Amino acid sequence: MLTTARALGGEVVACVAGPASLAESMQALSFDRIIHWQVAEDLPAEVCAAEIAARAIREAPQAVLASDAASARVILGQAAAALKAAIVASVRSLARKDGRIIVSRATAEGKVLEDIAVPGAAAVIYDGDDMDAPAAVTAATETIPVTSGQMKVVETLAAAEGAGLLTALRVIGVGMGLGSKENLSAVEELATALNAAIACTLPVCNDMRWLADHNVVGSSHSQIAPDLYIAAGISGAPNHLSGVRDAKITVAVNNDPEARIFKFCDYGIVGDMHEIVPALTAALQ
Amino acid sequence: MKAAVVFKCTRNPVDAKVKLDGTVSWEGVKLAATDDDPAAMQIAKAIAGSDEIIAISIGDGDPAWAAARGAARTILVADAYAEAEASRTGALLAACVRRAPELEVVVLGDSSWDFALVSALIGQLGWPALAGVTAAEPAPEGLKVTRKVGNIRQVLTVAVPVVLAAAAGEEEKNPPGMRDILQARKKPLEKLKAADLDPALSAAETVGFRYPDTPSARLIDGKDPQAACVELLAALRADGAL
Ligand SMILES: Cc1cc2nc3c(=O)[nH]c(=O)nc-3n(C[C@H](O)[C@H](O)[C@H](O)COP(=O)(O)OP(=O)(O)OC[C@H]3O[C@@H](n4cnc5c(N)ncnc54)[C@H](O)[C@@H]3O)c2cc1C
Repeated sequence: MLTTARALGGEVVACVAGPASLAESMQALSFDRIIHWQVAEDLPAEVCAAEIAARAIREAPQAVLASDAASARVILGQAAAALKAAIVASVRSLARKDGRIIVSRATAEGKVLEDIAVPGAAAVIYDGDDMDAPAAVTAATETIPVTSGQMKVVETLAAAEGAGLLTALRVIGVGMGLGSKENLSAVEELATALNAAIACTLPVCNDMRWLADHNVVGSSHSQIAPDLYIAAGISGAPNHLSGVRDAKITVAVNNDPEARIFKFCDYGIVGDMHEIVPALTAALQ
Repeated sequence: MKAAVVFKCTRNPVDAKVKLDGTVSWEGVKLAATDDDPAAMQIAKAIAGSDEIIAISIGDGDPAWAAARGAARTILVADAYAEAEASRTGALLAACVRRAPELEVVVLGDSSWDFALVSALIGQLGWPALAGVTAAEPAPEGLKVTRKVGNIRQVLTVAVPVVLAAAAGEEEKNPPGMRDILQARKKPLEKLKAADLDPALSAAETVGFRYPDTPSARLIDGKDPQAACVELLAALRADGAL
């Protein structure tokens, strides 16, 4: 996101709303300046939205970038309205041309990039790759304490960690292509050979009851970031893939060469998972 | 509590037609209810209790969607359509909300089909807001809201007015049948024109389309499973993934 902002030229300022640890992690990156709304522990970051929007008017940036995290999108909305900025999601890059900002966003399920020319300020929800931009010197940080707001966090519940999924370095995900619960044993053997945890899609849990709720990965369930994710018999619905988008390498095994998942993986084997999964186990042994 | 639900304001990305020259056409595509719209409706109902729910939408699709799910009346800006840049749609929806000054809560689907719409409505309305909301109920402070942040669930108390962007956990259970939809079409529908609400036209314009330069996946033919697996493992080892 920082690298994308740099493409427009000029100063890049980090607006951070959260605990001191968050501001410290931003100090490790090459921002020119950091404004830190140090939010009390029992307040959500959103309580700063109006204040950040007011500050945006003073700072008058050409562009405001936010991640697609829930809090960031709320804050971005307020800042965009304050700046009378155009607001675009799924943004991959920014450029400047003939006095306008060209916002490139993914459209048609990421098949195509659409270039949108914005005459004034642009507020964008960034959806591109994250690159490391380490700081040579620590940026000056202005800290603004926030101790009250119209919202309060009264309880925080961590996700059930039954399947060891959240920390696993390798994960095998199974989908409806599994066919039956009996076929799970072949997947379990591969998981043992690979030292991997097992995940699944929502219907494998909700409709078929082949695996438990804590195995489900996706928008409404666990978000995981393993080094290797092997998706077997999974079509690649957006609701599933958003849970594995931080996986370093994704492999898909699917017998349909047109399966959506082949557009979003690094490697794909077009074949029957009932043949490929045991063959993979054997090859590993 | 007085609640509104905003529904069917985005295009389903699956419906986009990519032409041979790489341009994208939305011709003939109607705005659709997202996977998260039913959750927005459920949350609006939980908040409203016995109060009426007002439904708000844009576009020329069937406006009975929310009425069939329990909304008392619908406000529709029929000549508006979702755009790539969302500030105008956000302004139109906010203007509709302002027509019902009694409203305390606005709920809409927190859909990744177009996250910009959610942010735009929040900004244009200028109300405090929470996204990723999975449940809400009235509380002495206003509302008690549960939301999902990554792998964590947070319970919050919030004052009203507030905008809640609702995230569904699964497919809608028991969607209304044809009878409910036909009944819903008899409920009050206020049709407005975008010009009546007067938000400025967006000055942003699409200036081109291109294919992304991300490398496509390396696909291995699995007809010979052994050979395919040997090839895959070699590639993964070369990448340092094994
Ligand atoms: C509000 C909402 C929230 C949701 N949240 C989630 C979520 O968090 N996580 C989630 O996963 N889903 C979620 N879903 C469901 C999601 O939209 C998809 O329906 C689901 O992910 C599809 O699961 P699948 O890929 O297993 O099944 P399918 O889409 O049926 O795909 C099965 C695939 O298996 C392939 N196949 C069949 N046989 C074989 C074989 N022998 N060998 C190899 N391949 C084979 C087929 O070609 C097909 O591609 C959600 C849905 C809604 C509406």
